[in-house]
Amino acid sequence: MRARDTGASRRFTRWIPAIAAPIAIGVGVVLVPMQANAAVDLPDLSPAELLELAASSEVDALSGTIEQTSELGLPDLSGLSGAMGGGSGDGDGPAAGDDAASATDLDDLISLATGTHTARVYVDGDDARLQVLDRLAERDVYVSADGVWVYDSPEQAATHVAVDTGSFEALEQKLEATYGTDAEARADELRAELEAELGAPLPTPEELLDQALAKLDETTEVSVGTDARVAGREAYELVLEPRDAETLVGEVAVAIDGETGAALAASITARGSDEPAFSVAFTDVSFEAPDASVFAFTPPEGTAVTEHVVTAPTLAELEQGKAEAESGAKGERMPQPVVHGEGWTTVVELTAGEGAAAGLDPEASAMLDTLTQRVDGGRMLSTSLVTVLLTDDGRVLAGAVTIDHLVDVAGR
Amino acid sequence: MSSEAGQGLEAAAALPPRPAGETAASRPTRPPEAQSPARAAGGTLSLLGSELLTLFRRRRTWAMLGALALIPILIAVATRIAGGSSPGRGPAFLDQVTGNGLFVGVTAMTVAIPLFLPLTIGVVAGDSIAGEASHGTLRYLLIAPAGRIRLLVVKYAAAAAFCAAATLTVVIVGTLIGWALFPVGPVTLLSGATVSVGEGLLRLLAVAAYVTVSLLGMSAIGLFLSTLTTVPVGAMAATAILAVVSQIMDALPQLEALHPWLFTHHWLGFGDLLREPIVWDSFADNALLQGGYIVVFGALAVGRFLTKDVLS
Repeated sequence: MRARDTGASRRFTRWIPAIAAPIAIGVGVVLVPMQANAAVDLPDLSPAELLELAASSEVDALSGTIEQTSELGLPDLSGLSGAMGGGSGDGDGPAAGDDAASATDLDDLISLATGTHTARVYVDGDDARLQVLDRLAERDVYVSADGVWVYDSPEQAATHVAVDTGSFEALEQKLEATYGTDAEARADELRAELEAELGAPLPTPEELLDQALAKLDETTEVSVGTDARVAGREAYELVLEPRDAETLVGEVAVAIDGETGAALAASITARGSDEPAFSVAFTDVSFEAPDASVFAFTPPEGTAVTEHVVTAPTLAELEQGKAEAESGAKGERMPQPVVHGEGWTTVVELTAGEGAAAGLDPEASAMLDTLTQRVDGGRMLSTSLVTVLLTDDGRVLAGAVTIDHLVDVAGR
Repeated sequence: MSSEAGQGLEAAAALPPRPAGETAASRPTRPPEAQSPARAAGGTLSLLGSELLTLFRRRRTWAMLGALALIPILIAVATRIAGGSSPGRGPAFLDQVTGNGLFVGVTAMTVAIPLFLPLTIGVVAGDSIAGEASHGTLRYLLIAPAGRIRLLVVKYAAAAAFCAAATLTVVIVGTLIGWALFPVGPVTLLSGATVSVGEGLLRLLAVAAYVTVSLLGMSAIGLFLSTLTTVPVGAMAATAILAVVSQIMDALPQLEALHPWLFTHHWLGFGDLLREPIVWDSFADNALLQGGYIVVFGALAVGRFLTKDVLS
């Protein structure tokens, strides 16, 4: 009897490693992140001081890994191409610099706006590179003084968007001759506008911070949240809460590096939700200048290269455009968006043309039906952050607002 | 190592119910209490050597390696005869094969990872202990001054060696057949950067290393399952099925929270080695994850094997 007891206890001791190993791993999994977060205590700052720190940030070289997560509550859009791009294209896709937008690019945008994506970012002065790490594939955006290269490895396609600086200089001179001193500022403005369009807005936390700061006014409550560790660095948390009840945005949180003032993470949480609907954060970051070879790109052999040169509009075109804008006549090629309201409740209205939804092929139309809901005066697509209304008279309204507000604006 | 081996011996001796024949046979061969560490290590090595010899002398092992070698050969020959595919169709990298034969190995690897490699690894790992038990050779292995833990370690090392052999087979045969049938030149990486043939080959070896590491966790699971039964086919099938189940779970968005914990989660992450600059994150994550599986299932296998009544 006794012998059997010792046998049983020996038997048990043999299993100890098998019990201990998962426990040790479990404890490690729980403790390591906790320890990383626990120790953060930066000197207290007021919201204004923190904003100043963020604004004074002078980071012009960095490399790091960015993780972007979207839980917009969108329906599954994988089978959707071309039909509804406007609604979900809010994600700053790397293909944004490629204005020869095809259905594939749209798919890319949709795929970027849903799910989780990892990308590496390298910035050094004027050079920048975004490397979207897909499974067994990669999309790259190289930005340099020579222009922008967009490379897509599964398609084996490269697009080169170059700015014809010569034509811009010529335009500048002409403008100067025509308008005098006032012209330079105007040309600069124009160029900035075009560059902003070309520069493929990288979905960096910095970018989101800038957009959020632009909305800072009395409609927003600014506070400093709890310090945390982001990408291994101690960071402040800046919390922006809209006071406006019409918007869907609950809060925007930005993690600001305590040392450099650079934005390390940003997230947008919908009203009434605990989890961020959209977040982009560095998982690791270094503020040392990356190796120059990272920015070099020559299209490899066998790649389909699309050249796209952006030239400055001629003076006559500019005049025409200005005249059109003044007379309120909209260009037929490109409907100009109308912006209603300001701040958090901004609603953008586009004219899609009479019966735009009706003109779709049956398949797309069926898809539109499943995606959208019937509301008074049109169909709406609602996500946790963005609401899109397609009115029956062919207008598209979109904004981070409640559907009631959108219907209200449409009815005005 | 030596202390483990010592424990194993003790364990082998301490198990209460045991056929008289085995006990009688094992007692006289039990070595003196203090076996020198050097001798223990030497013993483990010679045991590993004989285990590897047995493994790689088996016709079954060569049949499995041959089947794996057929994958790149099939891809290369089919592409050669029927022409290349357009970008975005077929398995990843297939469209690049006609331009550069070095891609045959990578293409074959993407094809082999979901099913063929797990199947062969499942056979080897699942057979490790259960096979000996079903042949009635397990107790003789334990009679030799080996110790149960040492036997497990040796069996696992042999399974790991087979993982390396299997991935190297795919990559090397792929490279050779690609070299024979297609032009070979500087390699275009996923980032659009181009590297020399030499560096391309190095990257292929790194891919083989990555996939080998990827399969180690699964080998540990197979080893554990193999200690549960004396029917090797059961352990083999269970291991291979687990690999497929894990991949299915990895594809279900509803189980997203589980994904980082699945041993198949990083299996296709070897693409990170084909970027410029190389992204090592997934290699590190994968190694850590596989290490966790090795520790957990290794400990389970030890627990099970030490308490198991070896009757055959």
